[in-house]
Amino acid sequence: MKKVFVFSLLMMVVLSVLLAGCSTETAAAPDATEEITIAVAAPLSGDYAQYGNAFRRATELKAEEINAAGGILGKELKLTFLDDRNDAREATNVAQRLVGDKKVLGVIGHFSSTASLAASSVYEEGGLVQLSPTTSHPDFTKQGQYMFRNINTQAVEAPIAADMVVNLMDKKRIAVIYINNDWGITARDHFVEAAEALGGEIVAEETFIGGQTQDFTSTLTSIHSKNPDIIFLGTFYAETGMIAQQMKQLGYDYPLAGLSSLYNEELIKLAGDAVEGLYMTSNFFPGDERPAAKEFVDKFRDAHGQVPNQFAAVAYESLGMLAGAIETAGEDRAAIRNELAKIADYEGVTGSITFSKDRDVIKEMSIIKIQNGEFVIAQ
Amino acid sequence: MFFQQIINGITLGSIYALTAVGYTMVFGILELVNFSHGSVYMFGAFLCLTLMTALGLGFFPAFIISIVITGMLGIVIDRLALLPLRRKNAPKVASLISTIGISIFLQNLVMVMWGSETKNFPLALNLGHIQFNSFRISYLQMIILLTSLILMMGLTLLVKKTKIGKAMRATAQNMEAAKLMGINVNLIITFTFFLGAALATVAGVMVGMYYQSVDPMMGFMAGLKAFAAAVLGGIGVLPGAILGGLIIGVSETLAAGYIHSGYRDAIAFAILIAVLLIKPTGLLGQKVQKKV
Repeated sequence: MKKVFVFSLLMMVVLSVLLAGCSTETAAAPDATEEITIAVAAPLSGDYAQYGNAFRRATELKAEEINAAGGILGKELKLTFLDDRNDAREATNVAQRLVGDKKVLGVIGHFSSTASLAASSVYEEGGLVQLSPTTSHPDFTKQGQYMFRNINTQAVEAPIAADMVVNLMDKKRIAVIYINNDWGITARDHFVEAAEALGGEIVAEETFIGGQTQDFTSTLTSIHSKNPDIIFLGTFYAETGMIAQQMKQLGYDYPLAGLSSLYNEELIKLAGDAVEGLYMTSNFFPGDERPAAKEFVDKFRDAHGQVPNQFAAVAYESLGMLAGAIETAGEDRAAIRNELAKIADYEGVTGSITFSKDRDVIKEMSIIKIQNGEFVIAQ
Repeated sequence: MFFQQIINGITLGSIYALTAVGYTMVFGILELVNFSHGSVYMFGAFLCLTLMTALGLGFFPAFIISIVITGMLGIVIDRLALLPLRRKNAPKVASLISTIGISIFLQNLVMVMWGSETKNFPLALNLGHIQFNSFRISYLQMIILLTSLILMMGLTLLVKKTKIGKAMRATAQNMEAAKLMGINVNLIITFTFFLGAALATVAGVMVGMYYQSVDPMMGFMAGLKAFAAAVLGGIGVLPGAILGGLIIGVSETLAAGYIHSGYRDAIAFAILIAVLLIKPTGLLGQKVQKKV
């Protein structure tokens, strides 16, 4: 008993010495007495925590870089993280708090269209920039003058995917499976319209309820009876794994294609060789050879021991743009908004970024495919 | 295409049946709608997966260990969340709400322990398939159907022919009287919960393997469908769970294949409602004398 006590006492002494050592080392380079505060609002707990944490890791990395280079307006950039749990009501509460806090000069967030749309009216009223790295719902930037997004809407992405299917893959008879929610329906509408304009023929359209439907055999069997050239997926990676597996079990062999929503290493783990040869559009691909992208991937890997995904990439460049706008505009919310709206040809890690007059972005997308169990650039 | 759709439907139906057998057994003994069944089913599947991937166990040892551990989890659930309510003679609805609480707790526990992503479940029993002219049946599909039939028959024998089965039926009829006859009622209930959770694990693992994926929310819809299957067949009646499961599975599949994939659940549940309107006790259910 006594030994244990002495040992734990010793450990405590050692630990406190170590901790004290740490705290003296972390004195910040820029003037730490004055701060510039930017908020990151994202789901940091709950079902969507993995996406919020991608935001957090990427923005922390960017903030470190900014501070190492002297901060913003000579002041230290401080990030404050707020958890909206991907819940519309919670997102509104978070927005209320941020608008009321005069120190906050801009917000990176939120993650999902649902949360971003719910919070937007609060930000608009408070005159605070809401720059969402990921909200792709067409209505988002129509909510007011302070909403910006750093991701293509389905109106941009789905036609690129249609071109990929009809021209690059040369498949004309297309069956579509889409998730039955706002996002899936928008994706389907834009894809079908563009594919038909390019000379494709939609032979089947099937839907399912995300997170509930596990069995796709009946859907796949009825698609099989229509004899398509390809199956296009307006889905996420989890159900795509099931669709591909079940297709294989049924003995059907159709090429698959999808949107950037499928890009996740888990997909290959889930479905193995059943997704071999799948084509998809992509916002950001870690194997990208451009220097900006390469540098980001290396830094992120050093800092967090993992390869960044597209959500981290768009959050990283969102903070870069917002910090740049504050540097020019000064500490005034309305001026920051006007400065941000002027951004053109910003060299981000996902390519060149220009805001349209509606504060949407139009970005190039790469086409990637799964080959030998890995994502590779197809074009 | 029609034959393939029927096969698809029967497979889906036997998955529901497999889950519903455990549901209906607990109800038959305790008259308790156990809403935690779906979450226990998910927990069992995750546990089996972890034993296989983290500890490198083979499929069968992992399967058996997860059945035993999850069975014990069933006992813990009863001891912590339901026994105190029985002691206080709380109304049945209190126990029902308690099982919903357990269900949410388990889902969140699994999310914290293993993360919220969908995970791959290895296809440990890859036995191939038989190819017919226009359709194919895999051996795994047949195993799932056979397992649910064997479990149904085994449970029927257990309840009807063994001593412990007799004690279970006595407890079901009247707890107080059973106690007076020298039956250790709490032991019987513990056993019932062990069995219910073990059955849920069998179903969870088989389904995880069939779809080759597990996720923390997999038990929610499965639990609801299994409950519907049990009610359709006559809740508390073991063969009814199989029949109910198959009917829901086949009607859902045909609805998705021939009418519209968006309405699959709506059509399946419309059939459920129609059957219950005509025969409120379910297809194989009999009117039970109400306990006084």
